[in-house]
Amino acid sequence: MSELLGYVLSGLVTGAIFALMASGLTLSYSATGVFNFAHGAVGFLTALLFFELTTGLGWPVWAAGPLAVLAVAPLLGYLLHRLMFRGLAAAGETAQIVATIGLTIALPALGLWAVDVLVDTFGADLPKVTEGASARGLGPRPVHTWHPFGGMSLDSDQLTTFVLAVLAAGALWTLLRRTPLGLRMRATVDRRSLAALRGVDADAASAQAWMLSSALGGLAGVLAVPALGLDSNAFTVLLFASATAAVFGRLQSIPVTFAAGLGLGVVQNLVAGYADFAEKVTGFRTAVPAILLFGGLLVLGRARGRAAGSIAEDAPPPDYLADLPRWRRALPWSAGVLALLVWTFTIGDDYWVGLVAQGLVLALIFCSFVVVTGIGGMVNLAQASFAALAALSAGLAFDKGLPFPLALLIGVLAAVAAGILVALPALRLGGRVLALATLALALLADQVLFQVDAFSNGTVGWKLPAFSLGFADTNDARVRVVVLLAVIGLVALLIRNLERSASGRAILAVRSAPTAAQSVGISAPRAKITLFALASGIAGLGGVLYATFNGQITATDLPALTGFVWLAVVVLQGVRRVGGAVLGGLVMALFPEVLGNVTDSQYVGMILFGLGGVILARHPDGVLAQFAERRYRRRKRGERLAEAQTAVAGAAVAAVAERPERPERPETPDAAGAVLRLQDVVAGYGDATVLRGVDLAVPAGEVVALLGPNGAGKSTACAVAGGTLAPTAGRVLLDGRDVTAWPAHRRARAGLYLAPEGRGVFPALTVEENLTVRLPSARDRAEVYDRLPRLAERRSVAAGALSGGEQQILALAPALVRPPRVLVADEPSLGLAPMVVEQVFELFGELRDRGVALLVVEEKASEVLALADTVAFMGPGRIIWAGPRSEVDEEKLTSAYLGLAGVGDQ
Amino acid sequence: MNTSTPPRGIALAAVATAALTLAGACATSNESSSGGGSGGVSDDSIKVGGVLTETSATGYSTGGAELGAKARFDRANAEGGVHGRKIEFVGAEDDGMTPDKGAAAAKKLVQKEKVFALVPVSAPQFGGAEFLEQQKVPWLGWATGPFWCGKRSAFGFNGCLAPKPGQQTQTWWGNQVAAQLGGAKGKKVWIQATDSTASKYATQTMSKSFTAAGFSLAGTSAALPAQSPPQDWSPYVNKIMKSAGGKAPDVLVSTMAGGKFATGLYTALKKAGFKGLITDATSYDPHVLRDPQTARALDGVYAAPQFEPYESDLPEVRTMKADLQKAGGASAVLDQHAATGYWSADVFLKMVEKAGEDLTRESFLKAAEAFAYENKGFGRIAFPSGKTASNGCGSLVRLERGAFTVAQHLKCFDNTTL
Repeated sequence: MSELLGYVLSGLVTGAIFALMASGLTLSYSATGVFNFAHGAVGFLTALLFFELTTGLGWPVWAAGPLAVLAVAPLLGYLLHRLMFRGLAAAGETAQIVATIGLTIALPALGLWAVDVLVDTFGADLPKVTEGASARGLGPRPVHTWHPFGGMSLDSDQLTTFVLAVLAAGALWTLLRRTPLGLRMRATVDRRSLAALRGVDADAASAQAWMLSSALGGLAGVLAVPALGLDSNAFTVLLFASATAAVFGRLQSIPVTFAAGLGLGVVQNLVAGYADFAEKVTGFRTAVPAILLFGGLLVLGRARGRAAGSIAEDAPPPDYLADLPRWRRALPWSAGVLALLVWTFTIGDDYWVGLVAQGLVLALIFCSFVVVTGIGGMVNLAQASFAALAALSAGLAFDKGLPFPLALLIGVLAAVAAGILVALPALRLGGRVLALATLALALLADQVLFQVDAFSNGTVGWKLPAFSLGFADTNDARVRVVVLLAVIGLVALLIRNLERSASGRAILAVRSAPTAAQSVGISAPRAKITLFALASGIAGLGGVLYATFNGQITATDLPALTGFVWLAVVVLQGVRRVGGAVLGGLVMALFPEVLGNVTDSQYVGMILFGLGGVILARHPDGVLAQFAERRYRRRKRGERLAEAQTAVAGAAVAAVAERPERPERPETPDAAGAVLRLQDVVAGYGDATVLRGVDLAVPAGEVVALLGPNGAGKSTACAVAGGTLAPTAGRVLLDGRDVTAWPAHRRARAGLYLAPEGRGVFPALTVEENLTVRLPSARDRAEVYDRLPRLAERRSVAAGALSGGEQQILALAPALVRPPRVLVADEPSLGLAPMVVEQVFELFGELRDRGVALLVVEEKASEVLALADTVAFMGPGRIIWAGPRSEVDEEKLTSAYLGLAGVGDQ
Repeated sequence: MNTSTPPRGIALAAVATAALTLAGACATSNESSSGGGSGGVSDDSIKVGGVLTETSATGYSTGGAELGAKARFDRANAEGGVHGRKIEFVGAEDDGMTPDKGAAAAKKLVQKEKVFALVPVSAPQFGGAEFLEQQKVPWLGWATGPFWCGKRSAFGFNGCLAPKPGQQTQTWWGNQVAAQLGGAKGKKVWIQATDSTASKYATQTMSKSFTAAGFSLAGTSAALPAQSPPQDWSPYVNKIMKSAGGKAPDVLVSTMAGGKFATGLYTALKKAGFKGLITDATSYDPHVLRDPQTARALDGVYAAPQFEPYESDLPEVRTMKADLQKAGGASAVLDQHAATGYWSADVFLKMVEKAGEDLTRESFLKAAEAFAYENKGFGRIAFPSGKTASNGCGSLVRLERGAFTVAQHLKCFDNTTL
């Protein structure tokens, strides 16, 4: 009994570290939508610093601990936020996952390299990481041990760990629930754009969340280091285990995550202590977190929606080469292949040709990323395991006496089967959850499947001899190059056909809009299975060839972590095209060689590979696409220049012809004294221009109604006014000041209050918290409750649970107590019952009387006309008529909605 | 989805073509015609370089072997070289404990640096073995993994530590521990491994070694998670403490890799009141002396190097120490790996000497195929027996109050059948 209790208690200590790690993970994920695979690396770096400070420089723990955990770790979080995460929040899921995986590789390498440089180049007297086994934790030295009862023992390190973890959890909870900073963070998490409109600097809130998250990771790292040593892989493993806890907390709830972390520690201990049956299966105990992770994802991943406000679109980028003729697109690649062949058979020596062949094998494997990630938009972290699985199966088959072609086929089929098996959960999971599931599977393959002696032949592995093509054999690197080029060419053909086929389009549809695709009868599961099967087959083929060209395959040749580096390299080159895969393979094989001329440190390469993530944050589609885009822009610029010259030539004629017909540009009255003014605003999304020169003025104490049909650009105008969309031309003036360059939160603080379309509330925050975001003073909130007793009744209810009308009232309530300079309401009556609409417009009336400038945007004219002082009609991209309410009649309304320009001005 | 038929047809055709191309291929042997030459040998020099695990994620490093090899080659060169040829040692490549880097390093040394042989090789997960075998490039070093065994081109100065069932495996470790305890009769041994194939394999050879020496087995365990040490040792320690019929065993043998495992387990064992003898292969490392916590955890542990320890005053060891200090300066770290590098280089020189003046890879391999050499520094080595069995020699070093002392001098024992 006391043994059991001992396992539980000491399991709680291990669990506390998982819990801390996982809390940081959950915090940063929910704050920014980025699942930070590099969280363990942050812990490692902090622990490394702590180790150098204490063991190296002899600092006392009370100085080194706070410096590392409370100063340097948050600083690291801040830097990462500035350099990467900020950009990543808007990048696609793939870029997010890959970039943070890149960091997982780069950060530890950066730390280790820094130590090397300090010691070797600058002669600093610091211990190297090979001595990291002696790293100490935050607990006192020497370690005290107690035997509270029975055979149980507890030491001061364990106690320190547990107490600090609980304290940190308490502090985190208090910070998030009880402080304005926490409220701002949670508001940002809930609805980022709305937070900005309510005066919360969302960017700063994200930065704070990253700093906090890094501090948690750092604390977990420093606490874990006495047990783990300074082994960066151990920290990555720690992160995976913690991810399990975070998944059980659904990446949302920090308390649940914390509890799950504690539970995981206990379960691990109990399995170690009692599950003797597991001894027969090598790797089973190692794999406990991976098994739980996979199970957790299957059970919990099903119904999980995405965290609000973290949606990163994953639509394919434009094809910048689309306007080039086909031969021109193929030219660089054909020329490249030809040059490579000529070089191979003339001046290339064995070594370099061998390297190129190695690069091409990798390129072949990388083609599988093009299929599953580039086309399918899914991230598969198990690709290296597929390659290894195929190679081991082929090796086994060959060893049993099957001929090589058959062994090859068996290998590929094994990979395809595994791919389909992985695809089954993928049917239900999306994005990060799928990436985590493939990660769990990759770890399981490494830790359990490849440990089965009969399958991998122990540590010896299988021999796979070179094969002969009749006239030449693959012992010659030149033959390998030719064979690989041919195979890659075929795979490229296959991929191109897949993209152009109906199934390819189906896949694209599933990727861009799964629900829509489903509703038109496209089978998402089938498309996903096809992709996974094909990708695994390609990876498998590559894996068998990899093994054949190396002469052997062992269980450790292609570890799961290698797959991470591969993915980072491919995505960096561009994962949407085979060209990126080929380039990635060659870079992977040749880069270390090139780098070897510059530095001896193996870390530099890892740092550079990993920091590719920073580039990825800016250019999510990779290097190739970036070059293509740049060339495209240059071409376009040239074309535009030519166009402009033609235009200038015809301008005189056009000007003469146009002038008499063009009316004076309609403008609302009193433009000069307006509180809010849009001046010649041109704005749009990407290449699509929505507003083509909008002028609008909203004076104090007046209601301007902006009317117009769907798609005219009303909401875009609101977004420009609010600051969530930057105009490409024109100005926004607030009280006569040019605020065009101001971010949304600054405009909000200067008195602009925008109630966006839909409901302007934070659904996950309570009514009280919703009000607090804008009204920090309790007196103000009391006033709201006085005015709106319905809200007072429901003050502790999550805003998402309120009725539509209540939500709208809640959205406008702060304006009532603290009237803004200008209130912009985008379709405030949408979807509300007439009675509620009446109430809302009454509210507007009151605000007008108190001197607020109101811009009310509506599609339906009826109610707002009763209130408006000025009416502006919007046609596609322009204000087509504006004037006093009294001049608006049935006819004007009709023609405005029918899109008749000029609206009866002639 | 009927519309998809034609393109899918093309796709299938493409796959079929690819399959046919490869199916037309048939397996051939890996024999290469390009190897076996005299690459790296000139009239007055022999070029060699090594592959070591200098850095790794776990912090394990065999980097010291570079200094060891350099020290031995420096001595040989100072004595005029072998058959008039001096050794041009280009240093060691780092494989980072990843097989693909090891393979790349081997290719680089052979094809780019054009070395004659790879000395020293000391990398637990060396990936270049098949390439070197195919190219018939000799490689020498501290044999640990199974990839050393049974290859024509591979020579461990200590033989082969991973024999197949039915082949010969070492008994020196068990015998040396028995000698230390004054007899093995009635004494029980617990063998602790980590949860990985390699470590599990080691429990087999270790069980043989100790039972052959007269111990009986209390049990073996490979329950420890392989990737990172557990943060809580109590479930594992509890099991050990009750393994010998409810009592603690007399001897604990660890085949775990990585310093953090050793410190963790030994500390926890001592905390639980373990009084038996602890022995492992990794603790003979001057680094552990630097940290009081680690030194305390390892205090009393018997490490088992496969050479005569530095603390011995045999003339061979004194020469080695002097050579190492000459090559590496006063601050040279005298660790296990420096010694394995030194003795690997030593065996290589003997083989070159035997190959005669007309040195080619073929003549070297021929000379090394039937080869026997004894040296008090590491015992003895003979081929072809060393291709499938351990050289059978080892010593015990005890860590005591912050210093290593020789517990059992190097001694060679007969192997037993696995």
